[in-house]
Amino acid sequence: MYELLLQGLLNVLHWKYLVPLAAGTFVGIVGGALRGITNTMTVIMVLPFTFGLEPLQGLAAMIGVYVGGESGGLITSTLLGIPGKPSSIATMFDGFPMSQKGEPGRALWLGIWASFFGGLLGAIFLVGATGPLAAMALEFGPWEYFSLFVFALSMVAGLTGASITRGLLSGAIGLVVTVMGSDPVMGAPRLALGIRFLEGGIPFLPVLIGVFAFAQIMSDVEKTLRGQPDAAGAFAAPKIVVTHAKVIWEIVSRPFMLLWTSFVGVVIGVLPGIGSSAANVMAYDQAKKFSRHPERFGTGTPEGIIASEAANNSNVGGSLVTIMAFGIPGDAVTAVMLGALTIHGIQPGPLFISQQQTLSYGIFAAYILAHVLMIAMMFIGVRFFLRIVTIPKSMLFPVILVLCVVGAYALDNTMANVYVLALFGVIGYLMVKGGLPLAPLILGVVLGDQIEINLVRAIMTESNPILFLTRPISGGLILASVASVVFALWQHRRHERRTSATREEDADF
Amino acid sequence: MSRDLTTGLVCLAASLLLFVLTLDLPGPSLLVPIGPGFYPRIVLGITALLSALLVVQALLAGRRAPQRSEKSGPVPNYALVLWSFAVFGIYVALVPLLGFRVATALFVLALQWLLEPPRGMKAWGIAVAIALITSLATFHLFQDYLSVLLPRGRWTDF
Repeated sequence: MYELLLQGLLNVLHWKYLVPLAAGTFVGIVGGALRGITNTMTVIMVLPFTFGLEPLQGLAAMIGVYVGGESGGLITSTLLGIPGKPSSIATMFDGFPMSQKGEPGRALWLGIWASFFGGLLGAIFLVGATGPLAAMALEFGPWEYFSLFVFALSMVAGLTGASITRGLLSGAIGLVVTVMGSDPVMGAPRLALGIRFLEGGIPFLPVLIGVFAFAQIMSDVEKTLRGQPDAAGAFAAPKIVVTHAKVIWEIVSRPFMLLWTSFVGVVIGVLPGIGSSAANVMAYDQAKKFSRHPERFGTGTPEGIIASEAANNSNVGGSLVTIMAFGIPGDAVTAVMLGALTIHGIQPGPLFISQQQTLSYGIFAAYILAHVLMIAMMFIGVRFFLRIVTIPKSMLFPVILVLCVVGAYALDNTMANVYVLALFGVIGYLMVKGGLPLAPLILGVVLGDQIEINLVRAIMTESNPILFLTRPISGGLILASVASVVFALWQHRRHERRTSATREEDADF
Repeated sequence: MSRDLTTGLVCLAASLLLFVLTLDLPGPSLLVPIGPGFYPRIVLGITALLSALLVVQALLAGRRAPQRSEKSGPVPNYALVLWSFAVFGIYVALVPLLGFRVATALFVLALQWLLEPPRGMKAWGIAVAIALITSLATFHLFQDYLSVLLPRGRWTDF
């Protein structure tokens, strides 16, 4: 395994892969620093550029975006008190007060180095766990796959949003999208509504791009007061002075907290549908609970910065494990990666690591090297990244939408995909306004075909449906699905009892 | 009508309509013991059930707290959202007619104007430059380096 990893590292160090990885990391940091631009949107923007590249080149670029994006958000969070994206919110709680106390360099670099160490701990999990998990999944038959996908969907439905019914409904709508078009067994057309394009089914990437890009952009547009300039404004960039050895010691001298919060990040990454924003906040909360001085949190304590940043970078490692071992995207970014792989005819899943060794170890290597590149870029360009936040959204949004159109069009050089993008842009925005979370919808769209294929395979092999319950792993997963729904119901009830006042839930894009 | 009630009713109507359409699909064959309508009916049945549940929950919640307002804070600028969607819709419709380059330049300029009208000659100059650079750079980058031929216009042949 370690020879393969070393080979992967040497492979990715070749300029052919290093250039896209570095470009992706740079774009990721920039995207992370920009307000209102999530990692999903940045990776969607990068997607069309990867179509003409080799699979590993494209994936290296996307992994760069992913890692860079998780770290880019902390620049504005710590120095300006403006979280670039939801997964930097908890970083701001202590990062900004520390900056205001006259230690902006310490605050910033505690976050950057914590991201680095958290990311490397995530990499250890990624390299160590993907193979054994994939080997376990190789034993699965269609019953187990069906139950695993149902479990993933029920988890997402329960974990996102404030209502389990809305989460489940959103996932079911995602499945409905996949039943339109020809059936996967006999190829019979169904529910095409007389539209010729629909007979071939709805491709999931334009759906994903439309739903996430428009939901995010239009949610920002609706807060815009036309004629009032974007509030980014001018600001005085603080002077960043820091002793790196001292900052690194501050982090490594808290090994338990670093390990525990990175573990929290990895676990949240493994769970499908809840992303780094949850990891960031939960790790902060955990660090506060375990601290001897919880009262110092929120006043500029280093633990707050270290915990939140270590978690959101290790989270990436966790998300990559689920997609590589099971073919289940841990979040929207990995769903886009899955789409990019399928364009090249590669299906992630249990066979991926054994059949695509160069690619899978290349992914591990790219993930590790992206952290090194991120540190290098932060050394050189922090002041430049700070300037980025002054770019108004009125300039950014049209460019992003153009890249979304190119991404949809370039899938197979047809405008039909662009129409799907526009249609699902409207649907995605209406779903957000209707209170339906988007993550279950996307997972439903991504997994729908696989759920149907495995259900049909299972029934064709043995028509007795009770096998879904009596086969140990399948039965366990079905039981876990029911348990996750029951747990979510209990949690929502408890939450409702605690908070009498209603508040609109945050959509985790 | 509350948000959940509207969402539930729309989803219920759509899922029932699609469910009815699955009834026309062929049944099982000799080779495959389940027909192409088997799985869609399960999925649409579940969707209809969940939509109905959302409707019931919304009605019960409405009965419990009829006076409760949905949310507070600034009023969302829905007119701007509608206009932004309209501009995007026109853009998508114009791409095959005017070609990617012309349609994109017009779209980028129009959306910039819509979201934040440029003030003064300098701001207009920047807006026009962004529109032209986005359009031309994207077109040539994708055509020359990434083997993606973006559409030329039926009307303009450009």
